[in-house]
Amino acid sequence: MMDGIWLGVTTALSGYNIFMVAIGAFAGTFIGMLPGLGPISAIALMIPVTYGMDPSSALILIAGVYYGAIFGGSTSSILINAPGVAGTVATAFDGYPMAVQGHAGKALAIAAYASFSGGTIAAIFLLIAAPALAKVSLSFQSSDYFALMVLGLTAVAAFAGKGKFLKAAIMTIFGLMLATVGTDADSGVSRYTFGDMNLIDGISFLLLAMASFALSEALMNIIENKKITKEEKEALKKEIGSLKVSKEEVKQIVPVIGRSSVLGFFVGVLPGAGATIASFLAYGMERSIANAKEKLKFGKGSIRGLAAPESANNAACSGSFVPLLTLGIPGSGTTAVILGALISYGIQPGPTLYTEQPALFWSVIISMYIGNIILLILNLPLIPYIAKLLETPKQILLPLVMFFSLIGVYLVTFNTFDIYMMVLFSIVAVFLRIIDYPMAPMILGFILGGMMENNLRRALTISDGSLSFLWERPMTASILAVTIIMLAWPLISQLFFGRMVASEDK
Amino acid sequence: MVKSRIGALFFMIFSAFYFYKSFDIHLLKGNYYEVMTAQTFPHYLGILGMLVSFLIFVFSFLKIDKDDFLDIEKLKKYDFKKGIYLVLSMIFYGYTIRSLGFVISTIFFLILGFKILEEKSWKIILLTSFGISILFWLLLTQLLGIYVENGIIFDYFLGVQS
Repeated sequence: MMDGIWLGVTTALSGYNIFMVAIGAFAGTFIGMLPGLGPISAIALMIPVTYGMDPSSALILIAGVYYGAIFGGSTSSILINAPGVAGTVATAFDGYPMAVQGHAGKALAIAAYASFSGGTIAAIFLLIAAPALAKVSLSFQSSDYFALMVLGLTAVAAFAGKGKFLKAAIMTIFGLMLATVGTDADSGVSRYTFGDMNLIDGISFLLLAMASFALSEALMNIIENKKITKEEKEALKKEIGSLKVSKEEVKQIVPVIGRSSVLGFFVGVLPGAGATIASFLAYGMERSIANAKEKLKFGKGSIRGLAAPESANNAACSGSFVPLLTLGIPGSGTTAVILGALISYGIQPGPTLYTEQPALFWSVIISMYIGNIILLILNLPLIPYIAKLLETPKQILLPLVMFFSLIGVYLVTFNTFDIYMMVLFSIVAVFLRIIDYPMAPMILGFILGGMMENNLRRALTISDGSLSFLWERPMTASILAVTIIMLAWPLISQLFFGRMVASEDK
Repeated sequence: MVKSRIGALFFMIFSAFYFYKSFDIHLLKGNYYEVMTAQTFPHYLGILGMLVSFLIFVFSFLKIDKDDFLDIEKLKKYDFKKGIYLVLSMIFYGYTIRSLGFVISTIFFLILGFKILEEKSWKIILLTSFGISILFWLLLTQLLGIYVENGIIFDYFLGVQS
């Protein structure tokens, strides 16, 4: 194994391959920033460029694009509340409020540090345990996945302020309902399409996310007509590009990054789970274990709330390479595109890959680490300039945000019906915002809805309609137990540690 | 008016409609013997939606937070007119993007948006709308190789059949 790793290091560290990973990270960041163009599109666009290259270099370039696109997606989430990729939705919860408060530079810097650390920790895990983890990921069955989805939904509690749990719950159910629109994946029957062919493929995530976050935010900004005084403007300008993170803040986020990266990596290893669930789970976990005072900051610009999903989604991206490289199973849409690219280079990923092509296998893993370093070097100096985007006057910036949101969705399907649907959803979102119903749980329910139903159906079919699958498998039972503990945690902490929490708050 | 109550009513009606429509989901012959059909999940979601919105409705009478009251004075200050104009401009954009083509419809949409938000300088309006539309079109078509329609009008003059 050590020979393989050494071979990988020498391959990845060649000047040409470092250049490739740098180009990939830069192009990925740029493409990822555009709403509608996520890692899948970024990689798909790069595949033709890689034809004729040595497979190791090609894959190194693609890995750079992947990381870059994820970081680029975080940038648009933080700056304009437009999460173009599901994995960066949770980043917007605290990243965007930070940017609004004039700390855009700091938010982007924390995102960059968290992504770097998440990617690095995951790359180390990948180096040590990739082949062994592949076996574990295969042992996951539909009942375990269903339990994992339920665990993912518990993150909903993180978005519910005091006494607002039911509001968050109904929004999650609303999201789950929207996820059922379109053709049922199992039977092929159409649901809630009202005979309209435009709805046959269902509602796209991008459409819903852009409408409920970016478009509705822009509309709310216009409707609220908030006037900023000159002094406030000057104060915002001073801070906006600053990357300064204080020692105390570093102390706060270091353990968060550690925990979230480990969680993100293991969730990423599971096929189908990926960066989205990882980021939501990490956000939910961080909020659950935060003290009462810190909890209140979540959703209003908490640095812990930003660092957790950012490190988790990057770690999950590395994790998703485990089933791809060791089993040949793509765990996500992005890795499916990478699998396609690998096959077109004449490489069949699978259990024999790391014995037959050690240079390729290990160089990709090493290049992930190098990609993270390069991403940090490339992006940190650019952050002050990117953050300045927010200094654009509102009357210019808001129509542009609306344009990028609309066109981002339109370019995926070239169907004008999507634009009308976005407008409708943004109106509903504005109404729900005015009456204080949170948007995030709806997106969470929508993302998990399809997977949840499919896995529940499979699990029920296997157990012949009996609900015994919930407790028969130790893995399912353990995940459900964690779910119950997470849901009941506020109650438990109040009962057993009430005094401790109270004194902490003082 | 209590905000959570308004939301509860909205979701109760929506969930009831969703539940009612779940019976319209057409099942294939073999599906009837399955443990879980295409109707099952929507059925339970509809019931759960009605139940949770009912709970929100009931709790809104038992305990009302100060923040839960709809601030009518604040609402009166909202500039809904601008919001409606922008919504209409988005619908206009959707309506014209295929006929006028990406570049022209985007220029129109951006000019409308800037004017609705009261940007006064025509120099900024024209430079930004033309600049962004053309640069983005070039980026998509020339650099990224993404196909963008010319528009029915352009196609007609260029003699392209669409």
